[in-house]
Amino acid sequence: MSAIAPAATNTGVNGVALAVLIFFFVVVAAAGFWAARWRRPESMESLEEWGLGGRSFGTWITWFLLGGDLYTAYTFVAVPAAMFAFGAVNGFFAVPYTIVLYPIIFVFMSRLWSVSHRHGYVTPADFVHGRSGSRGLSLAVAVTGFLATMPYIALQLVGIQAVLEVAGVGGGGNIIAKDAPIFIAFLVLALYTYTSGLRAPAIIAFVKDILIYLVIIVAVIYLPSKVGGWDHIFDAAKEKMTTTTNAATGNKNVFIPGDKAYWAYGTLALGSALALFMYPHSITASLSAKNRNTIRKNASILPAYSFLLGLLALLGWVAIAAGTKPIGLDGKPNAQLVVPQLFEDMFPSWFAGIAFAAIAIGALVPAAIMSIAAANTFTRNIYKAWIKPDATVQQEAKVSKVTSLVVKAFALLFVLLLDKSNAINFQLLGGIWILQTFPSLVFYLYTRWFHRWALLAGWAVGMVYGTLGAYNVTNKATGAPFAGSVASIPVIGQLGYIALTAFAINVIVAAVLTLVLRAVKAPEGVDETIPADYFADAGDPRVQKLETGPHEYTPSN
Amino acid sequence: MSTTPHRHQAPPANKGLLALAGVLLAIPVVALMLVGTYAKDEPRVAGFPFFIWYQFLWVVICSVFTYTAYRIVLKARPHVPMNPEGDAYLDDESREDGLR
Repeated sequence: MSAIAPAATNTGVNGVALAVLIFFFVVVAAAGFWAARWRRPESMESLEEWGLGGRSFGTWITWFLLGGDLYTAYTFVAVPAAMFAFGAVNGFFAVPYTIVLYPIIFVFMSRLWSVSHRHGYVTPADFVHGRSGSRGLSLAVAVTGFLATMPYIALQLVGIQAVLEVAGVGGGGNIIAKDAPIFIAFLVLALYTYTSGLRAPAIIAFVKDILIYLVIIVAVIYLPSKVGGWDHIFDAAKEKMTTTTNAATGNKNVFIPGDKAYWAYGTLALGSALALFMYPHSITASLSAKNRNTIRKNASILPAYSFLLGLLALLGWVAIAAGTKPIGLDGKPNAQLVVPQLFEDMFPSWFAGIAFAAIAIGALVPAAIMSIAAANTFTRNIYKAWIKPDATVQQEAKVSKVTSLVVKAFALLFVLLLDKSNAINFQLLGGIWILQTFPSLVFYLYTRWFHRWALLAGWAVGMVYGTLGAYNVTNKATGAPFAGSVASIPVIGQLGYIALTAFAINVIVAAVLTLVLRAVKAPEGVDETIPADYFADAGDPRVQKLETGPHEYTPSN
Repeated sequence: MSTTPHRHQAPPANKGLLALAGVLLAIPVVALMLVGTYAKDEPRVAGFPFFIWYQFLWVVICSVFTYTAYRIVLKARPHVPMNPEGDAYLDDESREDGLR
């Protein structure tokens, strides 16, 4: 960590804030390595232990882990930035999104936990394979999950970079000085994820969440009084939003959505909520719970984070009233820097350091869980399913550990070598893509009415429609594609979230093709689950699998 | 040890209570999808526009409804343990009396 020190000779470095940031970073790194000894398993050499923490986490650990997992550094940086630059439709939709999220997962996540417990499923694609008997559909779900997760990890780096940039680090002329801090941070992250698995982010999530809650509560109480009270803040935001236009889309900015934006606001919230728990990292954190109802109890206490997120979003408007000028080290304005910049301008430097640490550590927890989930997906659904069907649990764990390193290295290269806007575009696409796996995962938890080939076709159509839809949203100022996530909904004619439109088309295609395939009596796959599996709880026995390849299960009746 | 358990149906449930839980879970989703009902500035509370404080209010309401639904589903479908072979529920005999 001492390697960060030379960068401190750059101009504009906030020494005290940086020292506090480094202090916390060292603390969580130590905690990450220590986590391997926490609730020590007999052996770390299986995905159950390394990748799911032994399925042993109770209500509170799950709460911290899921909170740390879902509310990422990028959220903390991007949502207020969107509020600051474009207003409520782009930013505040995150609040209804994270409210409707919980009733939705309450409904289906317990079933997924139960069937995964009975059959030892580690990833969503594991379940899809067991339920549908289709290797192709399972591969589609796995590849979608893997691809959608990669840019998400890269965006965590963007979040850390924003903090470092405001702290004055990372602006050096050559690539070594510029990127050394982020390189070191990610190397340390990669090493403790490798040794401790899911236990590392579970421990670090405690530190992260305590810091975040502390910073937000102080910010929300202290900052408004400094800038003239909430009345003034909202008036300043209204003034800015009603007089400016989003250069990229040509739409007016939004203080409170007008009737043309109702559909956009609602579909962004609903589509995002349906999509979030399709990501492998959300499912990893859910399956690590120790019993069936942990996730349901959590659905009623996780909204505490939604409250926090709403307050954070409003900091984007506080920054308007405070006259914050988010200028990057390259001298160009960059809205992504608005929250760290606000903290640096308004707080004493030691507290700004704590705030920076909260955001930066906020990136490490989800990055660790995402890389574990992506690695598990690769190992189970690509390596074991297609390359080495007779892999032992030890080999699975080994492959996952190495893959988690590769995934992070790839994310690092992605951010360092490509334009950052690429990461953001891919993340946008990732959200659209991942929702297309919803029918295969959630419908299958309830019914096998949909035919596996129809679900695969629906997925393919949704993926193509969503990708083209996002590509066709061009930036009115620069002409670049992927300029946004809303487009006109066919038939309805209102602006709506592309992911949800693609999802609707996906479901229609799947339903129609199911009728056709039923009519021609296309062969059904073999279902290895039974209805009772969806209600199993901790203590109920696991199904003993025969030692055959995953595609060779014998029919169970 | 059996590798192919019989196809056991879901544990019995009180359908009415499950439906009630479903309604409690659906209310926040429907309320927040009706964006037109709350997309307005007035009345402000403590400086916060209606649009903002109304949605914060739903964070709390949704949390209460979800917790209530949690208590209800625990009652509606109590867990029935499986036998060690996983091919039957432990209290299968006691269920012969008309509960299915």
